[in-house]
Amino acid sequence: MIGGAGFKLSHLQAMLLFAVVISIAFGFLSRRRPIDRVKYILWSLFLFLLVGVGIGWAMYPFSR
Amino acid sequence: MAEEVETKTEAQAAEQGAPQKDSNREQFALAVAVAGWMLPGLGHALLKMWGRALACFLLVGVLVFVGAGMRGNLFTSHANDAFESLGFLADLGTGSFYLVARSMEAKGPDVSHAGGDYGTRFLATAGVLNLLAALHAYEAARGRKA
Repeated sequence: MIGGAGFKLSHLQAMLLFAVVISIAFGFLSRRRPIDRVKYILWSLFLFLLVGVGIGWAMYPFSR
Repeated sequence: MAEEVETKTEAQAAEQGAPQKDSNREQFALAVAVAGWMLPGLGHALLKMWGRALACFLLVGVLVFVGAGMRGNLFTSHANDAFESLGFLADLGTGSFYLVARSMEAKGPDVSHAGGDYGTRFLATAGVLNLLAALHAYEAARGRKA
């Protein structure tokens, strides 16, 4: 997926990367214990993806 | 009686020293915040929060690297409208990584495709995330629960 001068990510890949990075950042900043961090990261990632895909489907009827 | 006087004197000295101590702590917290802004993770590293320091450095670095690689718009101080000014402030939040992103974007931004637009968001997110991390380090240095 890396081509020429830069990255070429699909919409889904970009959303996944964004969700993963932000979830990890929130987990590390807001929780202290490793187990709490993992739980928070997974829960945050799940919600990011759920809302992202949900909004995508909500916009689908207006896309054409 | 002498013990009582001595105790009072110690208490008075402690009261007088407290504002000085608070002032020193505040200055240190500000230094930590500025360090954290200039180099992502450095603020937490100064507080010996190694995990958070490494996480901030890597995560902000990844966002900047991918954002610049996708040829996102890295705003400059020559803004034409309020949104560009806000974008510049957000991008500036990455501190020294702003210069890294600028050096990576030798061909300039390309927002004619969705990838460039995503890159713009990644760069802005990196800046805002780093500001959040710097504020977190500031609060931790002040002794707030972090």
